[in-house]
Amino acid sequence: MLADWWQYDFLRYTLFSGILIGLICPVLGTFLIVRRLSMMADGLSHVTLSGVAAGMLVSKKIAFFSAVNPLFFGMLFAVVGSLFIERLRKVYKAYQDLAIPIILSAGLGLFTVLISVADGFNADLYSYLFGKIVTVSIEDLYALIGVAVVVLGTVVLIYKELFAVSFDEEFARVSGVARRSINLWFMVLVALTIAASMRIVGVLLISALITLPVAASLQIAGSFRQTIFFSILFAETSVLSGLYFAYLLDWASGGTIVLMAVLILLVVLGAKKLRVLLR
Amino acid sequence: MERTTQGTPVVKLTGVSFQYEDKVVLDEVGFTLERGDFVGIVGPNGSGKSTLMKLILGLLSPTKGTVELFGQPLPKFREWNRIGYVAQQVAHGAGGFPATVREVVASGLVGKVGLFRRLTTRHHESVKNAVERVGLSAKLDQRIGSLSGGQLQRVFIARALVAEPELLILDEPTVGVDQESIEQFYGLLRSLKEENGLTMMIVSHDVGVMTQWVNKVACIQKKIHFHGTAHDFEHNQEKILESMYGGSMKLLSHHH
Repeated sequence: MLADWWQYDFLRYTLFSGILIGLICPVLGTFLIVRRLSMMADGLSHVTLSGVAAGMLVSKKIAFFSAVNPLFFGMLFAVVGSLFIERLRKVYKAYQDLAIPIILSAGLGLFTVLISVADGFNADLYSYLFGKIVTVSIEDLYALIGVAVVVLGTVVLIYKELFAVSFDEEFARVSGVARRSINLWFMVLVALTIAASMRIVGVLLISALITLPVAASLQIAGSFRQTIFFSILFAETSVLSGLYFAYLLDWASGGTIVLMAVLILLVVLGAKKLRVLLR
Repeated sequence: MERTTQGTPVVKLTGVSFQYEDKVVLDEVGFTLERGDFVGIVGPNGSGKSTLMKLILGLLSPTKGTVELFGQPLPKFREWNRIGYVAQQVAHGAGGFPATVREVVASGLVGKVGLFRRLTTRHHESVKNAVERVGLSAKLDQRIGSLSGGQLQRVFIARALVAEPELLILDEPTVGVDQESIEQFYGLLRSLKEENGLTMMIVSHDVGVMTQWVNKVACIQKKIHFHGTAHDFEHNQEKILESMYGGSMKLLSHHH
């Protein structure tokens, strides 16, 4: 069974994609969660979904676009959506979390209309919703590698600015940090990550991989760096074990990965409880 | 109004007005902070004292008038590391943030070190020194969630100190801090002023305690009602507060 992962191209692509997603999702997730923006991933994933639907529609109707991967439409929509969220957060200063349901509804509304216009899509759409191993192409993998390089590069280069803005935005501003540009760039990265991770985990479950490993990590980490480290560890464990079982049992990969992440969270919570009881 | 003594004032406000929509918060305020001053800003809720502070920090722009920092007009001012800022603690809700004392204090260097640059050994050394200065060396690598209110406030002081500012601005720093720690806290501020020559500006509604420690007091209620030494303030307190509050003296009896 394990040997299959090296023998077949699509499984290798899936494995590499999974490892990259398990790296970038929790890294961005850590910053999102400490800023109380964990729902952001949900909002953006629905916008991405409408982008994918739009991409499928134009590739079906317009010959010129037939060769374009719907994923790129998803990325485009997600980035535009993230810029809208930042804009809305400024308009509704006192109700910043309102931006997310607005953008989520808009994305979902657009998605359903596009489906009805296209007269329904094939099974390919299902894979974008829930993630499916066999659908990962080399093109998807290249897109993900590009996104991962940009995300990790950014976090390494402006780690201290990201930390300062996340911990105390006002203080960062008073320190002269260009917090607007940093916030905007960060949202664009979240959008790109969601779009690029879709094939594996599926749009509907991507926010789980962004939040669950971090939720478990927060319970045991002794510092911010450790929070990031443990969340990567948990995410990678979820992705690798999830992919393995999904392939073995022929389950949906996204769902299996998320269930693994839930399991890890439960184990961490249980172990912590046990330690308190035994003390 | 005070005369300018030697050198450029650290902060100078000239004819500054500020309004939110129709509500005038500050009206033609003139205010000067000299090097070495330890000024307490006093005023009732909504008197504009927090607004004054935000104007100085560049978080708000005046509707009218000019703000100068270290002799430079605010829109041109870029040397933010010369100013340290300690915000009201309850505004943070930072207790649950998964960071250590060391990480939080190091974040105070973000402006000084500059974009894309990493902290050097010397920076890490100054983080340690700042933590030691506020007496929390034993807690250096503990998560801030395990600290008491008073300790957390000292972490924020260390974060403001680590970049070696010349001016320290504190907004209601003793809210959520127990009575015993408050005395300790002001003791720390005084020693910072005396040993490091810091200029300090502190906004607090706890007039009774604060005025014992500062050397100057400014009373604000839309306008500056008094600006002088703490000694003069104590002697004329009743008159000053009466002119600000119109007779009601709630401020002094306000305790937590």
